[in-house]
Amino acid sequence: MALTVAEFLEEARDPFELEVVCGEDHLGRIVKEPAFNRPGLALTGFFQYFANLRIQVMGLAELTYLKHLGDDATRTERLAALMRQRVPCVVLTRNRHVPPELLAQAEAHRVPVLKTPLITNRFINRATLLIEDLAAPRQKYQGTMLEIKGMGVLVEGQPGIGKSEIALALIERGHSLISDDLTVLRRDHFGAVVGYADELTRYHMEIRGLGIIHVPSLFGVASMRREKRVDLVVRLEPFDQHADYDRTGMCSETIEILGADIPLVTIPVGAGRDIAHVVEVAALNQKLKQLGHDAAKELDERLMRALERKRRK
Amino acid sequence: MKAKSHDKEAAGACRDLTILNKHGMHARPAAMFIKTASAFDSDIMIEKEGTKVSGKSIMGLLTMELYQGSTMRVYADGPDAEAALQALEDLVKSKFDEE
Repeated sequence: MALTVAEFLEEARDPFELEVVCGEDHLGRIVKEPAFNRPGLALTGFFQYFANLRIQVMGLAELTYLKHLGDDATRTERLAALMRQRVPCVVLTRNRHVPPELLAQAEAHRVPVLKTPLITNRFINRATLLIEDLAAPRQKYQGTMLEIKGMGVLVEGQPGIGKSEIALALIERGHSLISDDLTVLRRDHFGAVVGYADELTRYHMEIRGLGIIHVPSLFGVASMRREKRVDLVVRLEPFDQHADYDRTGMCSETIEILGADIPLVTIPVGAGRDIAHVVEVAALNQKLKQLGHDAAKELDERLMRALERKRRK
Repeated sequence: MKAKSHDKEAAGACRDLTILNKHGMHARPAAMFIKTASAFDSDIMIEKEGTKVSGKSIMGLLTMELYQGSTMRVYADGPDAEAALQALEDLVKSKFDEE
C-alpha cells in the first residue's frame, strides 16, 4: 500500500497546521518508508545510510547549519545533493524563513516543501503516530463489531444469521457498536488489530424489516464507539447436530487476521438460544482469560488432582 | 428417565465400562465421551454407585469421579442402543488417546 505525500498532508494539515510552501504539483510522490528523518548528516555531505525514503524534517539545527555554511554556492550544492536522493518531501518546522536555495533546489528536483509552526520534536513525535496509522496494513472484513465491557468483539457469520439483531440486543444491554456488517481492520504500530467503521456508513445499521437506522439517535451517544482493538472473533454458525462444537472451552482456537492470531469462538445458533447473551458471556470469559484466569483449564486441573487422589486410595 | 432407572435391565441395553487411562474422566475425555454419545439418537445414561446422570451432559459426567480403575454402567435406550454402547466401549478402551 503506497502512501503519497498528498494523503499524509490531507490527514496532517489540520492537526499540524501544515502549509505547502512549494511543489503543489508533486504531492503524488510516494513515502516509501512511513517515518521521519532529520537530514543533518546528509547536509554535511555524508550520505551513507541516509534514510532517503523518509520524509525529511528540517528544524532549527539544520537551518542554522545551512546559514553558517558561508557562501550561497556551497549551500546550493549541499541542498542539491540532498534533493537528488529522491526524498519524498521536506517539512520545515517552527515556521522558519525558508532559504531561497532550498526552495530553488526543491523545485528543480520536484520535491514538495511543507511547513508547520510546531517545534521539530513535537512534530516528529505526533506525526510518526499519524503516519504509521496511515501506512498500517488494513482490510475490510465482513462482520459486525461491538465493544462489550472493554472487549472488542468481531461477530461474523453468513448473511441472515442475525449479526445485526445480536448487535441490537447487545446495544440495548448497554454495550456499544463500532460497525455493522462491514468492519475495517488495521494493524496498529503495537501489532494489535483495530476495527472501525467505514466513514460513509459509520453510526448506521441495517435491520431486516426496518431498514437503515441511525444508532446514536435511537440509543444515545454511549451506544457508539469509533474504534476498538479486536480481542475476540465470534463465529456464528447454523446449529448442526453432528458438528464438532467445543464442549469444554479448552481448545483455544485462533484466526489469523492481518498477520495477528486472534482468539476465535464458534457459537452454534439454535432455535430459542439467546445468542446475544452467549456472545456477551464469551466476551467476559475471554476477558477473564486475558487476566490469566482460564476457568476450563483450572477446573480440569482440579478434577485431575481429585481423580488422582481417588485412584491412589 | 427417573422412572426407567427402577428397572434398569428392561430399559434398553447396558454395559459396564472400566476407566483405563491414568488421569481418569477429566475434561478432555469427558468431552470426547459426550461427543460420541451425542452422535446417537438413543438416550445414554451413566450410573456409578447409585447415582445416574445423562451421558450427553458434560457437567454430570465430571461429577461422577471416574478415576482410573473405577467402573461405570452405561445405559442406552433407543433404536441405535447397541451401536452407541459399542462406540462408547471402544472409546473408553482406547484410553481417550491418553496413557
